[in-house]
Amino acid sequence: MASAPVVRPPRRGWGRRTSLFQWRQPAFWLYAVIVCITGVYAIGQQQIFRELSPSGWALSWGLLLLYGLPVFLAIYLLDLYEREPMSLLVGALVWGAVAATVLSGIANEGWGLVVAELGGPVFAAEWTAALTAPMVEETLKGVGVILIYLIARDEMDDVMDGFVYGAMIGLGFTLVEDVFYFIAIFGGTTGGVLAGFYVRVISSGVYGHVLYTGLTGIGIAYFVSRRQEVSLGRRVAVAAGLFAAAVGAHFLWNSPWLNYFPTTVDSLGDWLRIPLGAAIKGVPLLILVVVLVRLAHRRERMWLEAALHSETDTPALRAAELRVLLDPGARRRSRRRMRARAGVSAERLLKRLQREQVNLAMMRTMAHGDDTPDVVRQRALCKSLRDGLLAIPGAAPAGAEPAP
Amino acid sequence: MSSMREAAPLPSPPPRERRWLPVFAISAVVLAMVSGGHLAADALGRARGSSVAVSTSVEVTPLPGWELGERFADPPGIRLTKGGANLDVITLPFAGGDVDLLAEYVDQVLEPDAEQLQISEAEPVTLASGLSGSRISYVGLFGDVQAPVEGEVTAIVSPSETGVLFDGWSPTGQLRFTLDEIDAMIASTVIA
Repeated sequence: MASAPVVRPPRRGWGRRTSLFQWRQPAFWLYAVIVCITGVYAIGQQQIFRELSPSGWALSWGLLLLYGLPVFLAIYLLDLYEREPMSLLVGALVWGAVAATVLSGIANEGWGLVVAELGGPVFAAEWTAALTAPMVEETLKGVGVILIYLIARDEMDDVMDGFVYGAMIGLGFTLVEDVFYFIAIFGGTTGGVLAGFYVRVISSGVYGHVLYTGLTGIGIAYFVSRRQEVSLGRRVAVAAGLFAAAVGAHFLWNSPWLNYFPTTVDSLGDWLRIPLGAAIKGVPLLILVVVLVRLAHRRERMWLEAALHSETDTPALRAAELRVLLDPGARRRSRRRMRARAGVSAERLLKRLQREQVNLAMMRTMAHGDDTPDVVRQRALCKSLRDGLLAIPGAAPAGAEPAP
Repeated sequence: MSSMREAAPLPSPPPRERRWLPVFAISAVVLAMVSGGHLAADALGRARGSSVAVSTSVEVTPLPGWELGERFADPPGIRLTKGGANLDVITLPFAGGDVDLLAEYVDQVLEPDAEQLQISEAEPVTLASGLSGSRISYVGLFGDVQAPVEGEVTAIVSPSETGVLFDGWSPTGQLRFTLDEIDAMIASTVIA
């Protein structure tokens, strides 16, 4: 048996899979109605951009797909042990891209008028973006995270899930907002779009909405997933604190404070000052989010270890395999070594074995006993995969010790 | 009886999942966020009774007798009315000069909607703030209205690339009664 101490019980509900389309959930219908209504407006806006500058519009989306696809994958793969259902991730992305952008556009305009009425146009020109957009946009994106939770409550069982859904909403938002900026602010010409891509994506793409809404998502997930462990007051304080941090970071970004961006871009030095100015405003938030994500990873690792603790040194899982399974880097290295020794098919089989061992952990958390039919079947599957792996010439040294 | 009393207590039932309450709460938050600003801005404008914010960077002060008739969303704008006279104020980001802005307004707004449109030569104007712009006069038939309309369009572009279009118009023959007031409101407009 493994000697590692088990510090936490496996989380409940880990491993359940729910799709976006929950026809009996009122939250799904609210989500659908808002997305459909705002979708009509969003399509109309894209048509206007396309008519204004067909080549600029196409270039904008082409460049943003180059940025968006890797970020989508990175967010998706951040959840190392339990990837979220694709339909919910796409649903989150659509909420950010369609509902949150359209609703924010209308709301920002209204609250901007309030700032202008109270402060006058000179004050408003300088401060409206900082005083309206952070609260408006973080609230409307945060609503998306809450709707995703209400649609599929079982899927948001840890803070990492909240980060993933929040970051997806932020990614959708930033893609559509960037197209708006490239066409309406940077002019929509090829040069304008490329300049916009440099300023908003290359220089500052890692600091914006993905982090803000990721932070809000962590707070919401903390609130809903720690009911059994943490008092209501503490959960409210953490969720409100992280939301305030997201709003505060967004405020700082939009405000004239700490603004080291060049006022005009005439020389190479001015172009180089743009990423520097972005880093001054964005790096503190990036560090905060990286720390929170690492803490969430550590917690997920503890859950996996706890779920598989009683399975070690059984035909389904060897102790050495568990050590490898708990370290994503070691998993990748073990597969590379396997390919070098025994070929691609052995590498694929090892990958499948590791995935099914993680699934075994998920089934253990869902099962009401140690030997339910699903768990027994999963153990047998893991054993048969290992047997198949060991039968491949050259695979044995890296696979595992022979099964008892 | 005794054995029943000593039996282990039943586990507490799972918490009841509220499905409708959060949906109503979210709907209220979205509604408040989206419409709250517009309602508050209108209320503030009425309470102050003086200037009207067209956008975050443009503010018009209606003269006595002029009322806020309508707000436009995209691009942001307002329509002030007094009897048959109207002053439309529209604001948008614009990187070119005031003559370019004026030409775009004629090409994209006036000409497509008008028949027998006649336009004067552009002439320069200067606001009280020192900003300069260009102005034309026009007359034509618009839409389904068979009575000809006459108007005056003024285009201003601020150094921060805020473009502002003023279109003062009324049925032919009536504009001259309100033109001084329209010009005065244009001259006193604050553009950041």
